[in-house]
Formats: sequence, C-alpha cells, structure tokens
Amino acid sequence: MQQLNPSEISEIIKKRIDNLDVTSQAQNEGTVVSVFDGIVRIHGLADVMYGEMIEFEGGKYGLALNLERDSVGAVVLGDYKTIAEGQTAKCTGRILEVPVGEAMLGRVVDALGTPIDGKGPIEAERTAPIERVAPGVISRQSVDQPLETGYKAVDSMVPVGRGQRELIIGDRQTGKSAMAIDAIINQKGTGVKCIYVAIGQKQSSIAAVVRKLEEHGAMEHTIIVAAGASESASMLYLAPYAGCAMGEYFLDKGEDALIVYDDLTKQAWAYRQISLLLKRPPGREAYPGDVFYLHSRLLERACRVNPDYVKKISGVEGKTGSLTALPIIETQGGDVSAFVPTNVISITDGQIFLETSLFNAGVRPAMNAGISVSRVGGAAQTKIIKKLGGGIRLALAQYRELAAFAQFASDLDDVTRAQLEFGQRVTELMKQKQYDPMSTAEMGLSIFAANEGFLDDVEVSKIGDFEAALLSYANSEFADLMAQINVKGDYNKDIAAGLKELLEKFKATQAW
Amino acid sequence: MAELTTLARPYAKAAFAEAIEQNALVQWSDMLSIATQFATDDELAKVLVHPSLTAEQQATALTDLCGDKLNQSGKNFLMILGENKRLTLLPQIVEAFEELKAAQEHAIDVTVTSAFELTDAQQETLSLALKNKLQCDVRLTSEVDQSLVGGAIIRAGDLVIDGSVRGKLAKLAEAMDT
Repeated sequence: MQQLNPSEISEIIKKRIDNLDVTSQAQNEGTVVSVFDGIVRIHGLADVMYGEMIEFEGGKYGLALNLERDSVGAVVLGDYKTIAEGQTAKCTGRILEVPVGEAMLGRVVDALGTPIDGKGPIEAERTAPIERVAPGVISRQSVDQPLETGYKAVDSMVPVGRGQRELIIGDRQTGKSAMAIDAIINQKGTGVKCIYVAIGQKQSSIAAVVRKLEEHGAMEHTIIVAAGASESASMLYLAPYAGCAMGEYFLDKGEDALIVYDDLTKQAWAYRQISLLLKRPPGREAYPGDVFYLHSRLLERACRVNPDYVKKISGVEGKTGSLTALPIIETQGGDVSAFVPTNVISITDGQIFLETSLFNAGVRPAMNAGISVSRVGGAAQTKIIKKLGGGIRLALAQYRELAAFAQFASDLDDVTRAQLEFGQRVTELMKQKQYDPMSTAEMGLSIFAANEGFLDDVEVSKIGDFEAALLSYANSEFADLMAQINVKGDYNKDIAAGLKELLEKFKATQAW
Repeated sequence: MAELTTLARPYAKAAFAEAIEQNALVQWSDMLSIATQFATDDELAKVLVHPSLTAEQQATALTDLCGDKLNQSGKNFLMILGENKRLTLLPQIVEAFEELKAAQEHAIDVTVTSAFELTDAQQETLSLALKNKLQCDVRLTSEVDQSLVGGAIIRAGDLVIDGSVRGKLAKLAEAMDT
C-alpha cells in the first residue's frame, strides 16, 4: 500500500498552488560543456555571479566558483550522476541559503539544511545565506562572560569566553572530539545553543555522537550539521558555513551559541580538491592561495556583539549576542607547523594542545598545559576559578621544569620534593572522565583542596577517589554552599571559610 | 585543454577587424559560413585532420572547394588557419564572428519556440516588445515544438524567457516536491 505523506493534505496543496509564482521571468541560461569529479563547466551564463546557485535539469543545484572568459566552473551540490553534457543550466539569482531557527534544534541536517534524521520535515520560519560578512568593529563587545566547558583543566587554565574562538588541536585519537562533545553537554540548562558540524567523519562516528548527546539530554539545545566522509567535497566545504549561519540566527537574537567545527582539516582538504579540479594554481602543500581566507572568514563570524547590533538586526532590546567557536584541527604526527594548523592557530584566540604521549600516560584530557593558551578568556573567567586557578598553572609549570631536572638528582631538598609532590597531585587532580562535566563549585572545591594543602597527605594514586568522595559529600551535605558558588561564582572570605570547613569535616568523618 | 571558443576568439577578431577595414562585413560573413559548411562535411573533415597531408595541402583542399566564393584575403585567412592546424575551429570562429557582427550592427538573434505556428501579427508584436526590452534590433526566427503544450520560449543568446505551459508545469511539480 502506498504511504500517505503529511504534505499531501489538500489544504496544504491548495496553498502551495496559490503561492506558486508562474509569471515567466527572463533567465540567464547556459549549456553544460563537461562534467567530471563533481565539477561542471558551463558555456554561456554571462550574467552569473560568484557564489551564485545554478540550477541544472532535474532539480540539481550547483555553486558557481570560477568565472572565466568563456565558461563558468561550478561544483555540484550532492550527486552529479544525472547531469550530462548538453543539458541546460540556469542562473537563479540567489546565493546558497539554509533554513535557520529554533525548529532546527534537536535535529540532524546535511550541509544544505535538509533533515537526515528521519524525523520528518523541518518547519523553519526563515532561511539565511551561508556566507555573510562578520559584524564590524562598531557592533562588537569585549568577551566578558565565561563559557564553561566543564573540564577543570580547561576552565582553570585556558578559560573560554562567550564569543571566543578557541582551537582544539592534536593528533588523531587524543580526545579532541570528546572535549568538544563534553563542552556541548555542559551547556545543558545554560541557554547556550550548540551546533556541532561534523566534516568528513564516518557516519558511524556521527551516529555515536548523536546517541551520546541524546543520552545526556543535550540534543534539545543542539543542531548537528553532518557532512560525512561519503558526501561530495562541495558538501564538506560548505558544511561549516551552513552551521555558522544557523549559529548566527541565535547571535542576532541576542542569545549565546556555541559552534564546534569537527574538523577544519578535512574542510581544507575538500576545498583543496575542489580548487585543484577547478584548475586553480596549487600553493604550499597543494592548497590553493586562498586557504587562509577560507578559515579566517569563517572564524571571524564567531564574535560577541553589543545590544545596539542585536536591536538593529532583530529588534530585541538590551541583550548581547555571542557565537563561540571551537574549531578542531587534526595534526599529523604532532606537526603543528604544517600549513593549515599554523593558519588556524594564528586566526583563533588561543589553542588547546592535546598530546598523544600524555593521552597514553593516562592524563585525560591530554592537554599540554604549557603550550595551551587562551588569549581573551581570562577576562571572562568566574571569579572563584580565576582566583584559585592561577596557582594550578604555576604549580604545573614548576613541576614540569623540576621533573626533568629531578631525574638526574638522587637526593633533593625538601622544598623541591614538596614542589614535585604537589605537581604530581595537581596533574592527577586535573584528570577527568569523559561525559562527566563539573560545575563551577565542584571545580572550585577541588582546586581549593589542592591549593590549601588538603591533598598533601593523600596518596597520589588515591587522588581520583578522594575527589569523587569529596564531591559527592559536598553535594549532599553542603548543597547550599555549592549552590551559592554556582549562582554567583564569587570568592570571598566567607566562601573560603565555608570551603575550609567542608574539607575539614570531610577529612575528619569520611573515608575514600 | 583550453576551450575551443578561447582558441577561436583571436581568429574571429582578426577576421572581423579585416572585414571592417575592407568594409566587407557581409562578404566575410558569407565566406566564413561557406568555408564552415565545407569544413564540417564528413568527408572533408576527415581530410582536414588526416595525418599524412601537410597543413598546406589541407588548406588548399578547402580553398579549392570554395573556389571563387573566396577572395584573396579569405584564402589567406584559411591558409593561416591551416598553418596553425586550426581549420577544425571554423565553426567556433564563425560563431564568434557573427557575435561581433551582431554587436557592431546593434542587433541580436532571437529564437522563439512556440507550441503552435506564430502568425505574422504575433511575430510583429513580439519583435517590437523584444526590441524595447533588449534595446537593439531583433532578428526573429521561429520554431514550432508541440511538446511545449502552449505558450512560447524566447531565446536571445544567454537570455531565456520561458513562458511555456511545459515550463510552468515543471515549476509546479518542483514546488509540490519540496
């Protein structure tokens, strides 16, 4: 039996017929000269614009990327098997747009905004062009609100602010995606909308991410833009821009959004493929000349905007908007001086380095605290974490220096030994499980315990257990104090005294 | 590989400039179209790409066939084409030449494909309307294609105005599909 489609209700059909514009309009038309590897050459189309959508026979679309004297080079969006030499190609006069809005939340879409999760059509009220010029200096406001990732190591040492671009960089299998997914999970209940752009990943990985987000109740505030490894290079190239357009909808409305590009290396590869097929001259590592612009124009769109801008664009009064970007770059054999990594490092406001050696040594997240930086996040850090986190960074820096030196010395003086032991404990304390983000109060308490010497008599191997027991004790017995810290994030004498009392009671009464 | 139109353009431009200088646009146009008709003939096309013939022999074969239809400069033009092994480009050269000629004469070729034969009055109205829209003289040719069902499609170079019932049905189908 044939299935009835929800769009087949006669009222809807009638409306569609009513709205159909059948007035004949003058159109620019050309002829397909050649089709190969997703690239189409078109003769004619004298009035085509750069980046304009081109309509082929059979409802297929392409994107004009090369405007030459006698022909137009275009990439086909999606499957190109039905396009043949001699077919006509029409200008549409539009640049590529994707649906945006609240209706997109909780959905998995492809690079063109078409749902691919089998949950039916998306009733998005608006569409937005995928390419847009980033807000200018007048519209911007400095980053001064934290975007908590839920990782102690990140939030205390390389804090991320709302509107910042923080690069996550590392070799394969170092926990880059895991960190980004956890950051998304941690936005649950904060009002921050998330967009996860999967570029060139295995379909199974994408499905696993969706499942994990659903398990942790994080899909309600998340849009997933998926351009899997089996899709054409044009889709991989466009997916980040499409995701960004969806994020900008929230930015314009005076809300906060977080976008993860996982990962931009694959997008650069896709763009390299397209460029080489379009016969643009190759440069370093065979990337085209504008590969820097490819990423800079994308990441520049992540920003914090002031209330004037929000009011002008969407009419919402007195709210700032932000789009925080967490681009991911995969390095080969730890080589951060390759072309694309250096480009993206220089574009972003800081980077989180993840290292294979640390990962294998059991330090997870495998963040190298020495070379990971955040250039603007400090201004946005919660007071309590800012106050307490400074010591952690210093302790780890001293520890690294001493650890190398101590390998040669047989007997050490007491001060050095104390520093070494403290460093070991802090390293241990910074370890954190996946899918287990921490609240501000929990982080504050852990770091406070380390700073105030409450860990000194705990065995290094027991630090993890100690912390787990401490947090569950604090959350049940000192819920008021924890809630107070979580709401305000302040740090003063009263809070310090409260934390001290908590720790003393815990150590006196509990076992770990 | 460079595109054929790109290769043909300098020849068309040179021929056009020569034609303007000699004040013989129509004559040149005729010469080129005759040469093209011969060059695209199946038998002669084989000769023009035959590897054992020299470029000169190929060009001479073509000029001889055209006979007294060519004047001296026309013959020279074909010889140059032969020398550069570009005789097969003649169709593209004619196309480019005609475009230049049309631009010079401020005219445009328009093809109207309609479902039914157009009456003279209809053609007259169409030409007038198109003349106003395109701001140049219109040379109208009409074709009949019953598969359009009704209405007509107007083509002027890259510009296409689709007012056919078939086009509207296709639009409707697309709108219902999305």
